Amino acid sequence: MTRFRIIYLLLRLALGGIFIYASLDKILHPAAFAEIIFNYQILPGALINLTAIVLPWLELVIGLLLVFGIFMPGAAALTGLLLTVFWASLLFNLARGLDIDCGCFSTQSAGSASMAWHFIRDSVFLIMGLALFILVLKRDKLSSSKEVA
Amino acid sequence: MESYGEMVRVSFYQKTAWQSLLILLAALTAGLIFNHLRANGIPLTADWSPEARMVSASGHSLVIPTEEARQAHAAGQALFLDARSQEWFEMGHIQGARNLPPEEIEGLFAQVLGDVPPDRLIVTYCDGEDCDLSYDLALALMERGFTNVRVLINGWTVWREAGLPVEEGRS
Repeated sequence: MTRFRIIYLLLRLALGGIFIYASLDKILHPAAFAEIIFNYQILPGALINLTAIVLPWLELVIGLLLVFGIFMPGAAALTGLLLTVFWASLLFNLARGLDIDCGCFSTQSAGSASMAWHFIRDSVFLIMGLALFILVLKRDKLSSSKEVA
Repeated sequence: MESYGEMVRVSFYQKTAWQSLLILLAALTAGLIFNHLRANGIPLTADWSPEARMVSASGHSLVIPTEEARQAHAAGQALFLDARSQEWFEMGHIQGARNLPPEEIEGLFAQVLGDVPPDRLIVTYCDGEDCDLSYDLALALMERGFTNVRVLINGWTVWREAGLPVEEGRS
């Protein structure tokens, strides 16, 4: 295996695992997750429950696709998109000084963990997600040129 | 070679787009079906306005209209409780209000409310449409046996904008 492929595999498994893990508690507790989305004070009220119902499943589906390496262009693009949205939401509330529960991995109150820590962690995830998408793009180009050759 | 590179990129982005769409549809379908079948599913839309959220344990609204709060204040019928931090309270609060941030209720309860009968009208407030401190405080007071607790939504801003009496410093 080339270094490229090892990094690609590690990113897929790590992000896939993170997404699956993040989805489970939210799927179990939709009402608590809706409350967390409300606390972010970003979405209009009419969209809060629908997001609480669908977003955890989106995370689960994406996580499974990443782990098994299926539908990679789509899964990687959505991974990058979701991580960007999560990152921006945290940044937005950090900037306006709203101290909210992250609700990233659990619907329980995070307690002592600070917004800043969540933001830094999210930034690392975002970099991983963008790196994965770039690798998927490169692999697609490589395999396409091989077919021609 | 360049035109070929362009072709690959277009097909990659097309692939990305339709796969993303399929994934979104799958998640939407799974989420809606699962929510429909499960015991603790939630309604697809809900009213998240302060009026709908700020209800007592038994479900009736705790919200007091500004005009009613003004009358109660003018007649001296109500005790106003400022749920914000002491710092904000001292910078300005509704005239005659006492300061009781909900997270400090354990330590301050006797000092702030020791002389208040449980059936006294209490109006809690904080600042901002979405501030929940006043609601948290109202629930905590009802748990402690107060029977006549109301919430003035966005109280500090509403009160000032209406030109009603305010004061600064400690209570």
